[in-house]
Order: sequence, then structure tokens, then C-alpha cells
Amino acid sequence: MTDNKNTPELISGAESLRVFEGLNRGMSRRNALQMLGVAGVAAAGAGSLFGAAGKLWADDAPVAGKGKPGGKIRVASVASSTADTLDPAKGGLSTDYVRQYMFYNGLTRFDVHMVPQLELAERIDNTDATLWTITLRKEVTFHNGKPLTAADVVYSLNRHKDPAIGSKVMALVAQFEEIKASGPNEVQIRLGAPNAELPSILAVSHLLIVPEGTTDFSQGIGTGPFKVKEFKPGVRSVAVRNPNYWKPGLPYLDEIEVIAISDEPSRVNALLSGDVHAINQVDPRSTTRIKASAGHQYVDSPSGNYTNLIIRQDQMPGKSPEFTQAMKCLLDREQVKSAVFRGFAVVGNDHPIAPGSRYYNADLPQTVYDPEKARFLLKKAGMESITMPLAASPAATSSVDIAVLLQQSAKQAGLKLDVNRLPSDGYWSNHWMKHPLSFGNINPRPNADVMFSQFFQSKAPWNESGWQNEQFDQLLLLARAETDEAKRGKMYADMQTLVHDHCGIGVPVFISNIDGVDQRLKGYSTHPLGGFMGYMFAEQVWLDA
Amino acid sequence: MNTLIAKSKPASSALALAKVSNGPSWLGLAGALICVAWLLLALVGPWLAPHPVGEVVSDNVFDGFSLAHPFGTDYLGRDMLSRVMVGARFTVGLALVAAVLASTLGTLCALVSVVSPKWLDEIISRIMDAFISIPSKMLALIMVSAFGSSVTLLICTAVISYIPGSFRVARSMAVNIEALEYVQVARTRGERRLYVACREILPNILNPVLTDLGLRFGYIVLLLAGMSFLGLGVQPPDADLGSLVRENIGGLSQGALAIVIPALAIGTLTIGVNLLIDYLSSRRSRRTGGH
Amino acid sequence: MNSTTLWLIGRRLGAAVVTLLIVSMVVFAITAVLPGDAAQQALGQFATPEQVAALRLKLGLDQPGVLRYLHWLMSLLTGDLGMSVSSAMPVSELMGGRVPNTLMLAATTALVSVPVALLLGIGSAMARGGRIDNILSFVTLAMVAVPEFLVATLAVLIFAVNLGWLSSLSYASDISSPWEFMRTYALPVMTLCCVIVAQMARMTRAAVIDQLDSPYVEMARLKGVGPIRIVLRHALPNAIGPIANAIALSLSYLLGGVVIVETIFNYPGIASLMVDAVTNRDMALVQACTMLFCTAYLSLVLIADLCAILSNPRLRNQ
Repeated sequence: MTDNKNTPELISGAESLRVFEGLNRGMSRRNALQMLGVAGVAAAGAGSLFGAAGKLWADDAPVAGKGKPGGKIRVASVASSTADTLDPAKGGLSTDYVRQYMFYNGLTRFDVHMVPQLELAERIDNTDATLWTITLRKEVTFHNGKPLTAADVVYSLNRHKDPAIGSKVMALVAQFEEIKASGPNEVQIRLGAPNAELPSILAVSHLLIVPEGTTDFSQGIGTGPFKVKEFKPGVRSVAVRNPNYWKPGLPYLDEIEVIAISDEPSRVNALLSGDVHAINQVDPRSTTRIKASAGHQYVDSPSGNYTNLIIRQDQMPGKSPEFTQAMKCLLDREQVKSAVFRGFAVVGNDHPIAPGSRYYNADLPQTVYDPEKARFLLKKAGMESITMPLAASPAATSSVDIAVLLQQSAKQAGLKLDVNRLPSDGYWSNHWMKHPLSFGNINPRPNADVMFSQFFQSKAPWNESGWQNEQFDQLLLLARAETDEAKRGKMYADMQTLVHDHCGIGVPVFISNIDGVDQRLKGYSTHPLGGFMGYMFAEQVWLDA
Repeated sequence: MNTLIAKSKPASSALALAKVSNGPSWLGLAGALICVAWLLLALVGPWLAPHPVGEVVSDNVFDGFSLAHPFGTDYLGRDMLSRVMVGARFTVGLALVAAVLASTLGTLCALVSVVSPKWLDEIISRIMDAFISIPSKMLALIMVSAFGSSVTLLICTAVISYIPGSFRVARSMAVNIEALEYVQVARTRGERRLYVACREILPNILNPVLTDLGLRFGYIVLLLAGMSFLGLGVQPPDADLGSLVRENIGGLSQGALAIVIPALAIGTLTIGVNLLIDYLSSRRSRRTGGH
Repeated sequence: MNSTTLWLIGRRLGAAVVTLLIVSMVVFAITAVLPGDAAQQALGQFATPEQVAALRLKLGLDQPGVLRYLHWLMSLLTGDLGMSVSSAMPVSELMGGRVPNTLMLAATTALVSVPVALLLGIGSAMARGGRIDNILSFVTLAMVAVPEFLVATLAVLIFAVNLGWLSSLSYASDISSPWEFMRTYALPVMTLCCVIVAQMARMTRAAVIDQLDSPYVEMARLKGVGPIRIVLRHALPNAIGPIANAIALSLSYLLGGVVIVETIFNYPGIASLMVDAVTNRDMALVQACTMLFCTAYLSLVLIADLCAILSNPRLRNQ
């Protein structure tokens, strides 16, 4: 897929995909007990999920002294506006996430295999996956000198429940029935129902920890590796090294300026002209340019991000299972992968779990492009030669291009689709899920449970296709509480089968994230969560000028 | 200044134009040819296109010249020749209609406001000022959300955006003419306002108005590209020429035909239209002698 | 003459207040009609109805629109531009950071483009029909025909990426020397010049030619006045009205319409602020930007009209 010339320390795209797949599969056996699976441990009653302070932080964390301290860099992200925020609860764009991971830490943190590792938490124990006790790391201080206490964590988690805060993860936090300080350095979370995956929920950027009582976030006071020097929403932010950071020897860089350039060719030009050191969301077509430049390279990481076709199940024509099936047959996944993404994608199978992720059901037959079968199905549904509008928007990554390809494929089956390109402005609130046929885009979620609960449960607010499946809903609840890893895996596999067979969602491909990086920037690698090393590059990279 | 002679003698201008007469004619001819070619392409292009406009015909994007695809392929691997042929219709049609409408309405408003009583002039001028201040993005968004997206609407938006500019230019000249003696004379003669506007003022501001129209045509071609980004107008897989340039901008660094061709197309179209207008207005002034 | 000019300025100022009021009402009406409000936009793709309702309450969006408008108008009269709901910062602070940038870019571009345009326009009018005129016509037309984003991207590609002479970004606050200034402003100014020079030059040419055709110029020519003197002393003063108007229109574009250049060069100016404000449904900010743009436009147009009137004695006495 790529050849990253003269960059031995960097994992190439193909290789990283392999590592990503392999490790994730292997992980379910090897690391399950220690990390997420809870199997056995929780069954035994109150057990320590993370062997007591066994590992300080993620195994991808650099050994202190590996990098070279000092240096200033500038990175350009995609979008920035006056709505830029340093409030973790409100973060909505890569620019926000990048900044927030510079200034704050979470209780846990995803490593490159999407496994949560301890961060501000020193230890996490649980009883029946319902009552969780989190022991905090001691001697961690905020940028303003205040030590980290349980009260800060309680405040940081509790505030998401207030609808007026406008938290992006309010739905996720709703299951935290009670959050209280059980000691100066100990927090107890009682869940409404068992959920073995709590540690990975705690790793999302929105649940980063802020000091108790914070209402003005413009100062970005956190425990993170960098401190705010300047923050102008819609213009730029400048972060300077936090000399008192609790991870010894980190971070390496002295200063990071974050700007946003929304125009992709301009972003690549800024990188190639040396004005910025790293960019994200590179168009696959620009990779040849970056490769051709002596001082630059691109880094592509497969991710769980997908743009999906939504076929509403509660109205015609999606009500007809034949029509829904026909639409899935009309998605030419290989063509989408090659024409739209130039190969920087992995073919999907109409369910949200990416190949290589934990619980991916590899035995499920792949839906393939088959216009003849589609024509047959449409005829059976009595919908031959109908005309349907298809809503797409630049807001949902590449959906307009996918829609055009689908339109061409549909012609082969006698179905006429009118592509309706809608402005990105207001697409999510006014069009997404509101038309019989439309497109959505879903970013990677912390785990399969969150993904299924938020987007596929019958009563979920973002049940995109509006499908109703009792069996699925039951499996979801059972799996969440199931502590046997094998049984759990089986349940998730069954849920994928149900979604694949019956839900009105067509997932053509999972989209890889491509970053462009100056070769002097070292320690840069891939992360399935998103570009910029899952938005967490700041702590890890150094400048070798 | 010795400018108080009534503006009404054709002989003098002929003298001024004598040295010019062989200048713009071949340029004018070239302009006319280009315009006719584009009109023809706009009429028959979509039928001649070798491939469906949305079909992916090649695995390679931003391909160069080949016999199968003389204009290469675009960012998805579609045939550029077909896309340009289909795009020409939208660009020529939309921009022509929008530019003519905007200029006509703008000039009309200008004439009305110049010969009208002060208060009406004032109202028209203020409304135009207010129009020009409304953010165009807001205008486009409101159009899309209120009326959906259609070609008619696209024209309306372009016209609304460009009327005030055209009004300004026309009015500034009409005011000058209106103050001239012969217009005043016509008025005192008891000619009706409409007569004064159409017979006395319009012919004397027509040349700059035409120049303005030519420029506006160029701007509207480019405006269409911006509008399509806001979801207004030509829907995929079709695309106007401006949008073709925009969607293939990624091929710029390698000098891909996918971006060179539509850019050249816009260039020839704009230049052709303006050359033709220059030619027509110089012929007009020769014929009428300015008045 | 002086008193009529003063009277005109006074009347225009009065009219400007009315225009601003109309514009603010129209803009308000549009924001009210646009689908989605500040609360929905802030919450984004994954908003729950409960959150939208709570945030609306918090931002005061639950009040009737007219009331909110009147409230905004009242505070405007006391000089308070209100709070931006998307960034929770005072509008004046957001604007204050950007207005100087926009003015700087506009002024620099105007300083370069207006003389160039006048020179090109007058030059080709004088050489009408000749080779120079044809070439100039061709060049200016070609400039109209190239999309702004193409000029900008191409310029960055050549001068910043390939040659490495200039900066691809134009962030305005880190300038310490004239050389730095050149480096950061050269590309955006060049791009904008390409866009507006053509319009001004073409209109200048047309207006001057119009005058050159007129009898009084003919008289002057017959009297043996030199061509340069004819243009500068006779034709130009009478052509100032349309030229000034074309320039005013172009310059007003520089103040509010340069969103593409601001995006490509990452230049924090008013145009992108206005687009952000519309996207975020940030009413107070949209209003402030529009008011600013409208005021600037009206002032430019007033100056243009004054130029026209002062240059044309007949208009003075109306």
C-alpha cells in the first residue's frame, strides 16, 4: 500500500493494518483478563481489573530519554471556528481533541490496540461490573498547582449529566447512576446495570479530567503534558511544555502551535512548504505528492470510521426487506474503495465492527456487488424502475462521491437514484436519518457495546435506520453483563449477523486516516482512533532537527 | 470646461473611431466564433458525450491524454471529455441567463431611480445597499432550505447577488447623463419619464453596461462553483465548469488535464463573450456616434 | 457647492442609519428562518432533544425572536455588541482581533491594485484598438476567468512549495520586519489583485472611452491638445463617477468577501468570521459582522458618489 522511504521507525500502512488486526485478535485471549474482558476476575467477585500498578502506562509509551527534548512545531488540523473549545465535554472536531489531549489527562487512555491503559487512575477494581472503584494516582498536580483529588474526578464526570452543559457524551454517562468520592484519592462509580467495558468508556476524550468547579475553560487548566500559552478560537492555540508533568521525561517538545486549514490542497501545500510539521485528513490522491517530497511522509492508519448508507426501515421503500437487501447488493464496495479512497480503506460488511477489531465476526458472508440479484429483489418487491432521491452531503465524509457511484450501480438494476447534495451546514440536525435514503458518518467508538447501544438499539436516539429488533436488544443487554469472554464474543458475532441481515445500514468501507508528517518529527505512529496518533501525538513525539 | 455643446453630432466620433476600425474586428470575429462554438456545445454536448457523466471508466485518476479519454480522467476516474461536454450546458446556460437578468434588472432599476422623484430614488438605492450587505452564504443557505435546490433557484441567487453591483455602475453613469443639457431639454419639452430613460439615457450608458455584463458573466461562472459547495444548484453527477475545476483541484500539482481543461474552458468562454461584447459596443458607438 | 456637499453627506448619514436598521432586521429574519439554531449547531451530530432544550434555555433562545432582536438592538444603542454564543466571548473581543487584519489586507491590496487598475484602464483606453489595448484586454479578461481558489492554490504551489520564497500561511501577528511582511502578504495580495484589478481596469477603460467619444473631447483634439492631456484633463474628470463606483464595489469586496483567500492562507479576517458565525447560527456575531460590512460599504459608496459629484459641476447644483 505504501512505502515510507527512509523511515525505518515508522510502521507502514499495510503493516500497521496487519499488526492492528493481529494484535486485536490475539488480545482477546492474552490481555482480556488484564484489560477489558473482566472474565474470571469479575466472576470471582471484587477483583483488580488492572493488576495493581503493574504497568504505569500504555506499552506504546516511549521510554523516557528515547526522544530528544526541545523544539517547536506547528500542526494544521481540518476545521476551526469560533466554536473551538477547550471544554472536554463539548469537543467535536479533531482540532478540539488534539488540544484537549495536550492540556488534560483521562482516567484511562487507549493504546494503539484500542485497549484502555491506566492514566490518572492507578488502579481500577469492580464488583460484578456494577460497582467500580477507581484509585487515583498520587502527586499529580494541575497546571495551577492544585493537586488532583477525587473531587475533581467526581466533578468532571458528573457535569456531563447536566443537559445545559451540552456534553457530547451525555447518553454515555447516563448509566453512571452514582459517582462519589470514597476517599481523598478514591472514586466510586455505581452503574445502573453491569457494564464490563467501563475502563474503555473512561478513555474517551470527553471524559478528560478538569479541576473541580471549572466553568471557564479558556485557560485549559488540566494535568496534561502542555499548558495553554494562547488560545484564540478559530485562529490558533499555542501550548507550552508543562515542566511539572507527572510522566517523567515527557513531553519532549517545548511548544506546539495548532491551527486549522480547512482546504485540503492548502493543508498539503502548507506541509510541503515547511510551514507546518504535521497535518491530518490527507486526501488519498495527495499521498503521491507527499511521498515524492524528500522531507515528508504520510502515515495511514486503518480505523473504525465509516460513511454509511441509511435505508429508513420505518417508511417505504425501506420497509420492504427486499428493497433494503437490494440496496446493499448495489453498493460496489471494491469500486468505492479504489475510486473514492484510492485503496486507503477496508471493505465493510454492513455492520459497524471493522475487520480486525475485537469481536469482529469473520465468518459472516461478505455482501458483494450483484446488480442482477438486486434487480431480482426489486422486482420481487414490486419496485422495478422506481426513482428515489438519495441525500448526501460533504458533512458525511465522501458521501457525495459514494452516492454518485451508487447511482451508477443502481442504474444496472433499473433503479434510478437522484443524488441530492445538501449543504454540510445543518445536515446533521435537518437531514441525517430524516430521508428514506441518506448518508451518515460514524467515528470510531470506544467499544462494540457503545457502538451498538448508540446506533443500533431499537430505542437509541441515533438508531439511524429506525430498525426494531427485539432479539438484538436482548443480546445487547446480555452481552454487556456477560463476563465470559467466549460467550460474549459469540453474542457480539450474533449481533453483527442480525445487523448485517436485517438492519437498514450499508457500510461500504471503513476509511483509513492519513496524516502527512515532516520527517524531522520522530516517534509518530498510527492509531485506530483517528489521525494525529488518535489525537494524542503531542505527548509522544519529538523533533530531530 | 468647454463641454456645454449638446451631445448630438455623429461626425466627430467617426473621426475618433477611424483609426480603430480595423483593430477589434478580427478579435471580435474570434470572440463571436468562440461564443458560437460554446453555444453549439451547450446545445448538443450532452448527446455527443462518449460516456455517462457519472460513470467511472478508469482505475487511474487524473490521467493524461489517451485516445480513449482525450481529456484524461477526473479525481474518481471518470471521463473528463464527457464531463466537460455536459458541464458546458450548465455553465453557458446558467451564467448567460443570470448575467443578462442581473444586468437588465440592475440597469432598469438604475434608470427608474434616476428619472424618478427623489424619494423613490432614495428608496431604491437604500434597498440595493441593504441587499449587498447580506452575507451571500446566508442568502444561499436560506434559498436551499426554503425552496430546496433547483437550477431556477440557482439563477435567482446569482441574480440577487449581482443586481446591486450592476445597479450601482449603471446609476453612476445615468446620473451623469441625466444632468446633461439635452436630457434636461427633453424633460422641459415635456417628454415622459419613460421616454427620457429609454431614448435619451439608456443609449448613452449602454457601452459600459455591456462591459459590466461581460465581467459579470465571468464572475457568475465562478460563483456557480461556490454555490454548488453550499448544496445549491447543479446536482451530481452533473457539474458545471467551475465545479469541475474545484473538484479536481487535487490534480493541480501534477498539472492534470482534469483541472487544466475546465480552467481553459472557463477562460475561453469568458474571453470570448467579452471580446464579442467589446466588438458589439464599438460597432454600436460607430453606428450611433455615441448618441 | 460646499453646503450642498455637506447636505448630501448629512442626508446620506441619515439614510445609512435607516439602511443599517433594515439590514439588521433582514439578517435577523433570515437567522430566524434558517433551519437549526445556535443550540443545535453547538451540540452537533449527536444532540439529544433534552440537551437542545436545555441549551436553548441557557442561551436565552427560548424567548420569542422579536424580543431577542429588540434586546440586541437596545444593547447595541449602548454600544454593547452582545455575546457570541458559540465561543462565549464578547463579540467586540472576537471582532477586535480580526478587524485590523482585514483592514491591513484590504489596504495593502488597495494600494497595489487601484493604481495598477487605473493605469491599465487608462492606458488601454488611450491605445484603444491597438496592440497594447488588445493585449491588456486579453490579460485582464484572463484574470477574471480564473477562479480565485485556483490562482491562490497555484501561487502557493509555485512560490511557497516549489521555490520556497514565500510563506504559504499568512498569520498576521508574527511580523517583525518589512521582509517578513512581504513574505506573508505577497501571495494573498497577489491573488486578490488578480480578482479585482480586472473589474476596475475594464470599467475604467469603458468609462474613459465613453468620454473620449464625446464631442468636447473631439473639440479639444481638434484644437490640438495632446493625447495625455486630453485624457487627464478632459476625459478622466468626467469619467470619475463610474470609475469611483467600480473601485468602491471592488474595495467593499475586499472587506467582506475574501473568504476563499482567508481560508487558503489561513488568515484570520472578518470574512471567515462571518461564515463561522452563520454556520454556528451565532446571531449577535452575524449581526455585528454584517453591520460592519454594511457600514464600510456605505462609506465607500458615499465617497464614490462624492467624487462623482465633485467632479461633475452639473451634479453639484442638483
